[in-house]
Amino acid sequence: MTRFRPAYWPALIAILILIAIIAVARGAVSLPIVAVFEALRGRGDPTAVAIVRDLRLPRVVLGALVGAGLGASGAVLQGALRNSLAEPYLLGVSGGAAVGAVLAFSLGGTSEPVITLAAFGGGVAAVFVALAVSRAGGRAARADLRTLLIAGVIVGAFANAAIMVALASAEPNTIRGALWWMMGSAADATWTRVIWLAVSVALAGGALIYRAREVDVLALGEDTAASLGVDAENAGKRAFILAALLAAATVAAAGLIGFVGLVVPHIARGMGLRAHRPLILAAGLIGATLVVAADLAARTVAAPTELPLGAITALLGVPFFLVQLRRLS
Amino acid sequence: MFFRSRLLLSTFLAVAPLVACDKASPRTDVVRDDFGDSVRIGAPPTRIVSLSPATTEILFTLGAGSRVVGRSKYDLWPDSAKLVQSLGNGMQPNVEAVLGVHPDLVLLYASQDNRPAADRLRSVGVNTVAMRQDHIADFRRLVTLLGRILNDSARAQTVIDSVDHTMDRVQTATRGASRPKVFWHIWDAPLITVGSGSFMDELVNIAGATNIYADITKPSGQISLEDVARRDPDFILAGPIGAHAIESDPRWRIVRAAREGKILVVDTGLVARPSVRLGEAALSLAQLLHPGTVR
Repeated sequence: MTRFRPAYWPALIAILILIAIIAVARGAVSLPIVAVFEALRGRGDPTAVAIVRDLRLPRVVLGALVGAGLGASGAVLQGALRNSLAEPYLLGVSGGAAVGAVLAFSLGGTSEPVITLAAFGGGVAAVFVALAVSRAGGRAARADLRTLLIAGVIVGAFANAAIMVALASAEPNTIRGALWWMMGSAADATWTRVIWLAVSVALAGGALIYRAREVDVLALGEDTAASLGVDAENAGKRAFILAALLAAATVAAAGLIGFVGLVVPHIARGMGLRAHRPLILAAGLIGATLVVAADLAARTVAAPTELPLGAITALLGVPFFLVQLRRLS
Repeated sequence: MFFRSRLLLSTFLAVAPLVACDKASPRTDVVRDDFGDSVRIGAPPTRIVSLSPATTEILFTLGAGSRVVGRSKYDLWPDSAKLVQSLGNGMQPNVEAVLGVHPDLVLLYASQDNRPAADRLRSVGVNTVAMRQDHIADFRRLVTLLGRILNDSARAQTVIDSVDHTMDRVQTATRGASRPKVFWHIWDAPLITVGSGSFMDELVNIAGATNIYADITKPSGQISLEDVARRDPDFILAGPIGAHAIESDPRWRIVRAAREGKILVVDTGLVARPSVRLGEAALSLAQLLHPGTVR
């Protein structure tokens, strides 16, 4: 069993900063590194300043926040549900957010805040529908957090079906916009969106870190939790809602970016972390690094064509996951 | 090919004397584009990024080809356009790549997909114009606007007149002939056709035929093979790939025109662009639909 060393913290932070610097320095347009630093301080060629400060920097920060949110959300869910296959998009959040966005698109909503808010609203609504669905079960089912998971899957499946039906009769423009959005991209990052997501991640992520001990207890099982004096049903619901809010905020900001919420907690646990407070933090850092790196690849590999970010995260995430599996076996 | 060069030659011959005596037309300072945003018109732009085939073709025809510093990967006409750096997709373009060529004017297709890019380019102070290109009237609007922006309205008018003249000639020549019913095959899976919201529907009318899906008011629509069979077109218009797909798919046998081999192969790079070659496009369709009536 790997042991987590305190020296890993500065290493994780250093890797994130390094990748972020490369991500700001590289892009479809190649700029000399000196020009990039000049541009960061607002000096030099105005085009370079616009590229670095208005395009790349918000994009890198947005990517980092999305990755951090998905990583942390995944870590909490896998712990609370005691299921290493749990991930934020399983909760119906992604489907709900996509329904919100597609609805906004097809009702002619075009401005960025409208789509973002509609997506966030859709994601949150889906979580509460999932909660309601899970309440339909009896007492025993209610106490079992897995019921919530199944309810989330059902809500997500329904949402996906609704999207398909809506898109079948939509205008080609709407379809393209919605599909592109569902593929996930940080390309439309703006500072407004970054700030909005930063606040969401700080609030929901902070609350999760604050309540990390409850997740530790939940990870032992509901019965143990009860015997330790923890109200498992409410603690589980709290963790579930916070993790879902976190995921909904990331989906609203950048669409669907698959695999991060699933694979990142495994990497964090692979480093020897068990307690959820450091695990959530580490998953946040690793998630941020992974998404920033994936977005860098999405922007540069086939430039000026951009590759879908969600596909890149999966391409990067799968090998990680396989290595992890080998280690376990 | 012969015709293409002849049309161009005639365009340039008609344009040449006008350029020499072109006087600055009255310039208003601000126009509104199809996103409803106002665009200021000052000194003619010198570095233009054009992200749709139609705008690129128009710019080259207006003599501004040397000022085009970026295009979309689909802008392949005229041949000299291929020398311009491709900036990738024309829809949801890579804003960084666009900024990287230092444009003072960016031309976009006014699709909602391009809204974020337009907002972003404007926010960093790049003059950006987004225009619809759905109808033949949109083409005229676009040429007029680009003529104003380039401070060469006379030449723009010549281009419009020359295209209109060719289309009128085709329409007159096919007026007496019977009007076959045609089906536009745009995409196979899902099956997509042209509605009356598109210039391609107008082209079919000019070329002396009727689009069986003119009742679709949008530029395009998704339909079923069964319904195509029911509407029983006399001809199918398709690009080379589409024609091959129809011929090799036994399901298409339920459509009489497909059974009888009445599939007319069109040059999609010509007939699918609402641009300076609209006249040529109408002519090529008329020659396919009514052989011998118009030359």
